[in-house]
Amino acid sequence: MSTRILECQGLPCPQPVLRCKDCIESDPGTEMVILVDNDAACENVTRFLGVKKYEVVSTEKDGDTWKLTARPSSTFTLDDDASAETNEFSQPRDKGTKTLVFIASPVIGEGDDVLGGKLMQNFVSVLPELGSDLWRIILLNGGVKLAITGSPVLDKLQALEKNGVSILVCGTCLEFFTILDQKQVGETTNMLDVVTSMQLADKVLSM
Amino acid sequence: MTQQDDRLLTSLGDNEDSAIVRFPAGKALVQTLDFFTPIVNDPYWFGQIAAANALSDVYAMGGLPYTAMNIVCFPIKKFPKEILREILHGGMDKIREAGAVLAGGHSVEDEETKYGLSVTGIVDPDHFASNKGLRAGDHLLLTKPIGTGVLATGLKADWEGSEKFEEILYRWAGMLNAAGGEVIRELDLIGATDVTGFGLGGHLLEMARASKVDVVLRLGDIPFIPEAVELAGMGMIPAGSFANKKFCASLVEIFPQCDPLLVDLVFDAQTSGGLLLGVPEAKVARAVEILEQHGALAAYVGDVVVFDPDRGSLRLHP
Repeated sequence: MSTRILECQGLPCPQPVLRCKDCIESDPGTEMVILVDNDAACENVTRFLGVKKYEVVSTEKDGDTWKLTARPSSTFTLDDDASAETNEFSQPRDKGTKTLVFIASPVIGEGDDVLGGKLMQNFVSVLPELGSDLWRIILLNGGVKLAITGSPVLDKLQALEKNGVSILVCGTCLEFFTILDQKQVGETTNMLDVVTSMQLADKVLSM
Repeated sequence: MTQQDDRLLTSLGDNEDSAIVRFPAGKALVQTLDFFTPIVNDPYWFGQIAAANALSDVYAMGGLPYTAMNIVCFPIKKFPKEILREILHGGMDKIREAGAVLAGGHSVEDEETKYGLSVTGIVDPDHFASNKGLRAGDHLLLTKPIGTGVLATGLKADWEGSEKFEEILYRWAGMLNAAGGEVIRELDLIGATDVTGFGLGGHLLEMARASKVDVVLRLGDIPFIPEAVELAGMGMIPAGSFANKKFCASLVEIFPQCDPLLVDLVFDAQTSGGLLLGVPEAKVARAVEILEQHGALAAYVGDVVVFDPDRGSLRLHP
């Protein structure tokens, strides 16, 4: 079956959704590639396709453009006008294990802090090996110092964040060390996010 | 045109450049202005909604609308004059219903129709409500349901069910916030706002910041328009509503188990939305009574709590 390409850049919401709707109605079951240039459209199109029993198999971002590739999911049927009844909003995005890495110190272990610092540097450098399982890194207590200017692993953490790993940095800790303004990576967070993250994670690696 | 109103010292019929208005001694002015492009297809109802929306700002402060001036942009070469007349008629009916008097207006030719009002209200200078009047312990009451931004988007897209969406918009967006205003005056409330472009979440967050408190909203207690929830699930959320959510994100704490769709609707940009009132517990029963008497909602959607620097100012519970 051929793939339809819908170029929706520059179209305000809900136009991109309407383009998808037209496409599905005129050519039910077709594969689609949808190009949009804002996250509102990206989200709306993804939701619409979910209700229409389409699966967004990939979402790639290139510059200002999102490229959504969608195909009918296994439950797709040609006549499902009663689809409004089924609410399929909350599909998990990734199917792997959600791994949370919890770092509460700038060094690993006790004995020698110079060695401990090197070990931490190594540890963070090798974290990308977890692949897409690596979901979130939380930095607490002295661990927040890894996120500031001059940190030996700053570039590693920035690269991870760029690849979609969520990095949360404890705001109370940054304030305590008075380095709030030196944070160079991650989002400032609070204890509720920390606890919730632990609950949501499939696996927690505590350093 | 209309019978001369005691408040006006000039006459609309005499083509004066300005209106001169008699003003009661000891009162303060509430001044506000709002206008926008059509959100429904019927011009008379568009006029009503745009006027109700502009008048709402006066009610939100606990004031009473006093005079109003039309603001009109209209493509007079493209559309028949009757349409403009219908819009103004709708606006006039709302101004009258609000007990205000039309004092004039201004129109320009424009590509796109726009209508609204500049409204002047009166308020007791020692008794009015504002964003900074929330106190820990207040109940948050909402007087209209949420979801008009999504409905207007569905209507614009001519989605199935558009006629129904339009009726819901007439009913709620066309309704004056007079009942909420009366509650503010009678119960001497000090914390209130009207829910418009920033959405319920955005406006509540503004209040929390101004009042130096935190607020909790319970998604399960918010009256969402069912058709809007359905539309939102189909991808009919306007870009502005996403922008609201993004703008507020750093100050919002979303508890697990919150339906992400309802979270989006909390930030849906409302047109002529309801009032959001901060009501001390002892006054809640009477507030509910007044609101219900006037056909407004009195939905207890959340609570005001003490400020905690380590937590989000706006917390969304399931």
